[in-house]
Amino acid sequence: MTRSSVVTVLRVTLLWAAGISVLFPIVWIALASLKTPEQLNDPFLIAFTPNFASWQNVLSSGILGAAGRSALVALVTVGISVVVGSMGAYAIARYRAGGTLTRFGMLAAQVLPPAVLVFPFLTMAYALRLTDTLIPVIFSHLSFVLPVVTWFLIGFFEAVPRSLEEQAQVDGLTRFTAFRLVVLPQVYPGIGAAAIFGFTLSWNDLFYGLILAPGKAAILPVAIAGFNTFRGVQIGSMSAAILIAVVPVVIASFFIQRKLVQGISGGAVKF
Amino acid sequence: MATVRFSGVNKAYGTTSVVSDLDLELPDGSFTVLVGPSGCGKSTSLRMLAGLETVTSGSITIGARDVTHLQPRDRDIAMVFQNYALYPHLTVAENIAFPLRATKTPRREALTRAATIAESLGLAKLLDRKPKDLSGGQQQRVAIGRAIIREPSVFLFDEPLSNLDAKLRVETRTELLQIQRRLGITSVYVTHDQEEAMTLSDRMVVMRDGRIAQQGTPQEVYARPADTFVAAFVGSPKMNLIDGAVSGTTFTVGDGFALTVDQTAAGGPVTLGVRPDDLLPTVSDGDGAARVILIEHLGPRAIVTIDARGTELTSVVETSRLSGITEGTPVDLAVRPGATHFFDPATGSRLSG
Repeated sequence: MTRSSVVTVLRVTLLWAAGISVLFPIVWIALASLKTPEQLNDPFLIAFTPNFASWQNVLSSGILGAAGRSALVALVTVGISVVVGSMGAYAIARYRAGGTLTRFGMLAAQVLPPAVLVFPFLTMAYALRLTDTLIPVIFSHLSFVLPVVTWFLIGFFEAVPRSLEEQAQVDGLTRFTAFRLVVLPQVYPGIGAAAIFGFTLSWNDLFYGLILAPGKAAILPVAIAGFNTFRGVQIGSMSAAILIAVVPVVIASFFIQRKLVQGISGGAVKF
Repeated sequence: MATVRFSGVNKAYGTTSVVSDLDLELPDGSFTVLVGPSGCGKSTSLRMLAGLETVTSGSITIGARDVTHLQPRDRDIAMVFQNYALYPHLTVAENIAFPLRATKTPRREALTRAATIAESLGLAKLLDRKPKDLSGGQQQRVAIGRAIIREPSVFLFDEPLSNLDAKLRVETRTELLQIQRRLGITSVYVTHDQEEAMTLSDRMVVMRDGRIAQQGTPQEVYARPADTFVAAFVGSPKMNLIDGAVSGTTFTVGDGFALTVDQTAAGGPVTLGVRPDDLLPTVSDGDGAARVILIEHLGPRAIVTIDARGTELTSVVETSRLSGITEGTPVDLAVRPGATHFFDPATGSRLSG
């Protein structure tokens, strides 16, 4: 065998391994959601008649309400993050606003353990009588989505030539209108990707949701966790709920994969 | 239409001075070119006029208005950048119409006027295209169309031809000049290319290290450069500058060679300046004052590099006069009468007389 065909075989094997390790859990969960509790005892059972009891249980349990609340929180969080983040990213890209400290600070915000911030949030929620509502959840999500979105967009703004907004100013626009009508359209793809990325981060959060809105305002990951009951884990129902949570995000991520890499690499990688 | 005036303009970044004491008056309708090497302050001066850079001290007026602290959009100017700065998300028609739309002209009227201008620039068939689907020359014309549409008081050009290939550059240069003449709008043009400066300008301003080295008509600057810097910068190939001493009509270099020059009142050590076009080599009977090292043929002319006892000189000779001159030929040198320049060897300034 030649050297390059060995490399190719290795590459293909690696890709298959990666693909399987990512897809296998999703497939397994999909199958699990269609099994009866008895069938679930045998994890390797593949051929069986699908049973929709788990799905019925899940859909009547208010999971869709939780999904709706998750979507609302994510949308509001992303909406605010994109508006504020794009302006922040522009300022950082053009004027190095805040210096290196700000840029690294944003990175640090993503690394910060949520346990550090959750208690202050809870205290404030109590003081404002907003416990178990979505507002504290939105604010807590902003604490990590906004820095990520801003950081993501910096590279995209740096790629827009300065002469473009200078030309717009000479042509008659104020600095802000030039930003809005000329610079922003150049980064729309980046904003779209940042929005979907931010949406995913907010959608997946369990920790803040669990502490700040554990009851009637529960968001989706919290509701999924709720299938871990006193009587044991209801695997079938939980699997169905997990699918509801996971599948939309997987599909959305597929569409933004290129821009995702571009944003995470700070615009250094261009397609 | 307006006179542009820079009065005592300074630009400094912290302690670094980029433009010092700039005093310049540009008459209404003139085409002024700011030319000089990289870092001389020409682009900064243009950008201060545009309002894209702040002025550290001094004032700039356009017509009767002091624009020193006005926003770019309030200065009634139009600008063409080196990379054209066309809006990628808009069509050609929308690009050209943009300045009108920015000042709230109704869309239909703006697009109609844009179409007329596009027509005059040969862009009529490209109105619905996006900038990325245009060639460099077409993009440039869209940028010019966008500048023209508002009929501003002043046109500003920041090296707009640098991104074009040589041939297109010459063609577009001519078009640009014709447009400016037709519209009669005061224009300020920045370039590092002295040939462009010579062909385009009514008035040429040679800049160096943030100051004006010389200003005048291209003919004045070419014929009577104020110092060795301007002398070497303007004109291609570069003027021959030789350090030596002059006495009467004889110029000598050390114990090297001697040259007969114009009568001058100056005596003693000088820097002699002779343009290649004015240095005439003739085939020598004997050893000759110098030897030809290299001949570069350009068609109607040739650039001849000559070694004169250790001093390297350049001469431009018409091909018809080249007979007998080949690489290695000994030659005598003569200077065209009236074509010698004398400069102070210490300061580089022109010596009168």
